Amino acid sequence: MRYPDDVPVLETERLLLRAPSREDWPAYRALMTSPRGEGLGRPHTESRAFRDFALEIGHWVHFGDGPWKVCRKDTGESVGLVGPWHPVGWPENEIGWMTWKGAEGRGYAFEAAAAARAYAYGTLGWDTAVSYIGPDNARSRKLAERLGAVIDPDATELDPGTLTHRHPSPEALGIRESAA
Amino acid sequence: MAHLAGTPTLETERLILRAPALQDWETCRAFMATERARFTGGIRSEHEAWRGFGHIVGHWALRGFGSFVFCDRATGATLGLAGPWYPSTWPEREIGWSVWRDEAEGKGYAFEAARAAIAHAFDTLGWDSAVSYIDPDNARSIALAERLGAVRDAAAPRPDPTDLVYRHPKPGADA
Repeated sequence: MRYPDDVPVLETERLLLRAPSREDWPAYRALMTSPRGEGLGRPHTESRAFRDFALEIGHWVHFGDGPWKVCRKDTGESVGLVGPWHPVGWPENEIGWMTWKGAEGRGYAFEAAAAARAYAYGTLGWDTAVSYIGPDNARSRKLAERLGAVIDPDATELDPGTLTHRHPSPEALGIRESAA
Repeated sequence: MAHLAGTPTLETERLILRAPALQDWETCRAFMATERARFTGGIRSEHEAWRGFGHIVGHWALRGFGSFVFCDRATGATLGLAGPWYPSTWPEREIGWSVWRDEAEGKGYAFEAARAAIAHAFDTLGWDSAVSYIDPDNARSIALAERLGAVRDAAAPRPDPTDLVYRHPKPGADA
């Protein structure tokens, strides 16, 4: 695939998921350099935020999948980044999400994450998926639960203290038929 | 294999310069695990090394330009990284370089790659100035900057107060 031309566009009821671009940098910077950035496990200097944002795009370029920018169909406005995340050194394939400041609380991340997970299971062929969430990030923990993910105490930890939420299997979600 | 669309390739006598790709990761990973990486942010975990490598193409996508890996024309082997660098907190546009393979040190490859990248920055990207930020203990890079004709600019702002700033002459300016 060529980035950004060949990045698939996913469509949900209210959203379009597209390739992240430089237009998303100001919102990413604002989020990551705010206190909420810390809850996302990221350092919050601007220089680290730039590197991390460039890495979101690098994930697509190098692996052919990655986090989409989530856009509202009605306004076109970008509300966050959601999608596959499995950089070198990650214990397992993750579905990650972040919502820009001011766009929280409307179910966009839920809607996008469900679509991204279906893509990971259906198109990328993942057998399982996790989401790594800081213990103090109540909003993300609630979203993981709403997606049907449950804490897996036996999973390899990302780092001490971070919780591993394991998503329902593709079979349980009816995305793939069980082998039995 | 996935790649970033629309990036240029530069050619020199012995080298090909192109945007980084996943095939370069192994060489970069090995470099980052050595003492030689101390001037590029220090020896890191594999994940931290990946963050360093993986974001270079993101810089390309965000800025429309970025650093090139330079490869041996004859063998295709990845030897190092050189070229334009301008993350959001940099005071001005930089030409950076690092040699990733021990055996590629001391053969003038970084000089050849940096010279091509500087010409590209001025002639194709239309830069009107370029600097290199160098750790004062990095004698090899200081020697390379001087060989490229760059001179110390003591007054220029810098990302890290301990860095030296070398300013490159515009190619052909005093020819």
